[in-house]
Amino acid sequence: MRLNIPEQDYMYSGHVGCPGCGAAIAMKFFLKAMGEKTVIVLPACCWSIIAGPYPQSTLQVPLIHSAFEAGGAVASGVRAALDTKGDRETVVVTWAGDGGTFDIGFQALSGAVERNEDFIYVCYDNEAYMNTGIQRSSATPYGAWTTTTPGIQWKRGRKKNIVEALAAHRIPYAATASIAFPEDLIRKVKKARETHGSRFLHIYTTCPTGWRMPSEMSVRIARMAVETCIFPLYEVEDGVHYTLNYTPRGFPVNEYLKLQGRFGHLTADDLEQIQEMVNEDWQLLIRKTGEQA
Amino acid sequence: MAKKPDPVPVSLFIPRSYLTTEGNKTGSWRFLRPRYEEKTAPCSAACPAAEDIGKIEMLAAQGLFKDAWEAILRENPFPGICGRVCFHPCEDVCNRGSFDEAVAIHLLERFLANRARRGVFTPDPKRLAPKRQTVAVVGAGPAGLSAAYFLTLLGYRADVFEAADEAGGVLRWGIPLYRLPLAILQEEIRRIEETGVRIQTGNPISQRDINTFIEGHDALFIACGHGRSAQMGVPGEGLPGVQDGLTFLREIREGTISSLGGQAAVIGGGNAAVDVARSIIRLGGSALIVYRRRRRDMPAFGEEIAMALDEGVELRELLAPVAIRDSDGGLVVEVQPMQIAGTDTDGRAHIEPKGKKTEEIRVDRLFTAVGERPGEAWYEPPTEGNGVLRLSHCVLQQRASGPVVYGGDLTNATKSVAHAVASGKEAAMALDTFLAEGIEAVQPRLAACRVGEGPALSMEIYMHGPRSERSFHVVTSDEINTAYFQFDPRVRQPRLLREERVRSFGEVNLRISANLAIREAERCFNCGLCNQCDNCYLFCPDLAVKKDSGPLGRHIDYDYCKGCGVCAVECPRNAMILEEEAYEEGD
Amino acid sequence: MKKVIEGSQGVAEAVRLARVNVISAYPITPQTHIVETLSGFCSDGTLDARFLKVESEHSALAALIGAASSGVRTFTATSSQGLALMHELLHWASGARLPIVMAEVNRALGPGWNIWTDQTDSLAQRDTGWIQLYCEDGQETLDTTLQAFALAEQVNLPVMVVLDAFFLSHTYEPVDIPEQEAVDRFLPPFAPRFQLDTANPCAFGSMVTPDTYMEMRRSIAAGMEAALELLPEVEERFAGIFGRRWAAIEPVRCDDAEIILVTSGTVTGTCRELIGDLREKGEKVGLLKVKLFRPFPVEAIRRVLAPARKIAVIDRNFSFGASGIFAQEIRAALCNTPGHPPVFGFVAGIGGRDVTKDVLEGIYRQTVESDRPEREDLWIGLKEVPDALEHP
Repeated sequence: MRLNIPEQDYMYSGHVGCPGCGAAIAMKFFLKAMGEKTVIVLPACCWSIIAGPYPQSTLQVPLIHSAFEAGGAVASGVRAALDTKGDRETVVVTWAGDGGTFDIGFQALSGAVERNEDFIYVCYDNEAYMNTGIQRSSATPYGAWTTTTPGIQWKRGRKKNIVEALAAHRIPYAATASIAFPEDLIRKVKKARETHGSRFLHIYTTCPTGWRMPSEMSVRIARMAVETCIFPLYEVEDGVHYTLNYTPRGFPVNEYLKLQGRFGHLTADDLEQIQEMVNEDWQLLIRKTGEQA
Repeated sequence: MAKKPDPVPVSLFIPRSYLTTEGNKTGSWRFLRPRYEEKTAPCSAACPAAEDIGKIEMLAAQGLFKDAWEAILRENPFPGICGRVCFHPCEDVCNRGSFDEAVAIHLLERFLANRARRGVFTPDPKRLAPKRQTVAVVGAGPAGLSAAYFLTLLGYRADVFEAADEAGGVLRWGIPLYRLPLAILQEEIRRIEETGVRIQTGNPISQRDINTFIEGHDALFIACGHGRSAQMGVPGEGLPGVQDGLTFLREIREGTISSLGGQAAVIGGGNAAVDVARSIIRLGGSALIVYRRRRRDMPAFGEEIAMALDEGVELRELLAPVAIRDSDGGLVVEVQPMQIAGTDTDGRAHIEPKGKKTEEIRVDRLFTAVGERPGEAWYEPPTEGNGVLRLSHCVLQQRASGPVVYGGDLTNATKSVAHAVASGKEAAMALDTFLAEGIEAVQPRLAACRVGEGPALSMEIYMHGPRSERSFHVVTSDEINTAYFQFDPRVRQPRLLREERVRSFGEVNLRISANLAIREAERCFNCGLCNQCDNCYLFCPDLAVKKDSGPLGRHIDYDYCKGCGVCAVECPRNAMILEEEAYEEGD
Repeated sequence: MKKVIEGSQGVAEAVRLARVNVISAYPITPQTHIVETLSGFCSDGTLDARFLKVESEHSALAALIGAASSGVRTFTATSSQGLALMHELLHWASGARLPIVMAEVNRALGPGWNIWTDQTDSLAQRDTGWIQLYCEDGQETLDTTLQAFALAEQVNLPVMVVLDAFFLSHTYEPVDIPEQEAVDRFLPPFAPRFQLDTANPCAFGSMVTPDTYMEMRRSIAAGMEAALELLPEVEERFAGIFGRRWAAIEPVRCDDAEIILVTSGTVTGTCRELIGDLREKGEKVGLLKVKLFRPFPVEAIRRVLAPARKIAVIDRNFSFGASGIFAQEIRAALCNTPGHPPVFGFVAGIGGRDVTKDVLEGIYRQTVESDRPEREDLWIGLKEVPDALEHP
């Protein structure tokens, strides 16, 4: 029933991720596919804490914590150093949250991929600055409550489309992935591992704490995001070749939104509007993937 | 030049890890605790024989055909027979039916039985240590043979007494060959004998003999069945050309009828009526079933009715015979049209005459199949009274000389092979408990062996096998996480073509390949059972599900489990449970 | 081999000779000639290094933090705004104990875009845990850059080699460029005491609680103390191979001086001439050149300055709300010495304004004529600002 998922893990139990943490699940799958010849650059994010306080580490691969906005740059330096040491086997990875990718880290990311640095940049996206207490980021979706978009000031900006922004850099490989679709995620990690140049993975990771939802629904909600077309699974190669990896069942967006407290304030009109926005984004995407409408 | 001493390294205390996080026992965070808890699949609760269907299909899907077949034998000695003639109530409640189509459980049972024949599988059922007591079983029909089988597994010596020259009862004399070939029946009976059951055929028992038997044995099981046809109670029933359907079927089996021309009427709506009609077709005649209610009210199995009609049997509904007359070498049946008027107290449609005008139907002969009764009055079980215990499929009577249990068609409301097996099993459990602990212990002990809400009982549970660990909760379709399944149509039962069917008594249903069987078995959700799909292991954010070599292949490491519950939700088949963590004072 | 080269080129030659592995830099006037020369070296294979052309100075230092953590020799160069942008990571580099070497071209900070020399940029980073070495001329710049790698790698602290904009960076002087073989003897390959290693995985830079952080900071302080002790040994080894010697401080005719002028950077060169002139006229004046600013060589400075009657510090920088920074540090160095001389803090040459011999002589005269400084900061050569402009 479970094909193509490696058995070996490269992570220990005992980390302090919240119960049901999607980011922990994502790292587990990621490392299974990457193996031990991996160096992780970790800018400030939830994983800075999950990785373990001094003197602990929860990972079985080397890890360097970095300043918040510097993920792409530190990784560039590690890669350059490994190259001068003649190590072409170890893969350098930046493992960043949405804050360190979409916002403060965007410059370093854009700079690194514009240079086509040979590394994998993984953004695990829980759609807000969760580590500092659930403040909004440009990855926070339209309609969401956060501590800096509270009450009637709920976020009225659309989620930034990070994959599109990076596709515009014409990087060799960019893809979305979800913790609810492990085979797809692992296939993409393995593919990224074998590609050279800048590779970007945008992984949807639920946050029970920040999204105000029960921890046991963590994977189910991740699946629902894909099935409602809110978070489609697709790949972009060289910035121009789009492939849709999974045809969603097309459930109405409310099936996803109603499961989370952070959307609890939305009215029927708001939901309708969100459905229209999702439909519009979906149409834009399938135009590029060449799927039938 | 003197060598300078090695310089002392400069202080370099930096945040560099040297421990893993395994020292944090994050299990202390928990307020909910997940646990593997296998539950009851609805199919196994609906099966009168309580077959562990979810498990059987799981084993079949893995290609472990012998294990799957042995799982059937733990609860039912007749996989080959039931796999052909059972009315499969399991499929009606199959949770997969809410998703796309029910699993073809019936077809898979037959496949496994066939596979056992081909592979010459030798069963090795669990048996308890031999006991000194012996049990006499009167009647070698499905109930009697089941009782003898289960009593033997429980350690008793069982002697079966059969009036006819061959064992089988309704299996041999009532069910036509095109549904149940003789070789299958013979093999299943032989297998029962190989467990140690002694069957004495040509040995009718009279009421007087009963008392002797009780003295010669420690207990008695009476399962003589309903071998006598009921009368219609209309004028002309005694005319030549009017025959009792069961006798007719028996004559076909004895070989005294090999062909039959002309048009026959068959009165009745049960399986016997349909069997008679389809047999007539095969003998070269034409058949018309006359039933006083509608097709949908007929007690016969829907598939059988459909095939009968396909084979050319005619059906006329809502007609009740009122008289039969001789006419020109044939018969004229006068029938009263009926209409539906509400529902009877037993749930069946209430009928009443429609108008006063009767119709006439001309036929060459007429067969009656309007119901069966016990052959002798003493077969009837006692009603409530002192020392009488009504169980779900039996009646136990405590006599001075020992316990007597009545079962099979004598006590079952639904007269099917599966119910007969249930009856035999219940009788074996009841007698075993009675002999060891007395009558008061019987009901509680049997209640503990129920599957789901009951009334089906499991012998595996009775023998304290792994199945006794399961919860009685019956898994409903909304408890299945259907995200892990794709729509996949059910396998179709291959059959003889219509033209081939009506020419002979050869078996109508054909085999399927192992490929198809495995594929069909994979459609089973395995409701409430762990099939080691690894979702729990995969999705645990804390790597707290550890694989091992135990029966489930995994366990939860409670040192680290934070009780997030993702495992329980992502288990496709509700084989886990989330419970409140129990804390002690001072935690 | 002696060549007439710019100060910037001297830095680049040293980086080449040091066999740096990874360079990461972002251009900013007047550092540009350093990075352009190094780019050329990398491109024509003279230097076998990866040069990351990052998109900002912050990323430049971030990249080197990554590279140095992977156990290779690293270098960057910047100035002014770029150094300010790096500020967060300057703390990070020292906290991570990475032996990164940086050439810092002292340039004024905006607004008011000003590309000329001013020391405020590097001195504003004095708390970041970087060793700071201020250079007077082209030869010293090249030599100090080589020594910086040796020192950094011994104490595991990053080193800033500071040179004045234009007066040093763009001034051609005859400089002796050492042979590779000699440099290889002086500077062996980098042997990191820690690095990212898949064979021995661990995490660097995790969360540290109050229970442990203080000791790690004390360790950085210990590294700085070691640097103070080890710099003379580095210089000794250097002198042994190359025949040239520099020092943390250089007193010039201070033994019997009544007034000592304290300078750093290129102003020192001008001041030497002034001291010569004044001494010829019989003035008892001396000059103290301060090269090592971090760690601040308190003891050495105290010994030189305490016996004098007056000290005149020339600061080409300013800490708003306080005073010139060298003056602050020197006052602090002297305050526990009983009977120490008064310290006159002169602020001159801000934003590249010329500090000529006349300006310096004016400072000397002013010091002679006053018993004590009338204020903490004495700004030299200020022009009148029209009232309408100053008070709009």
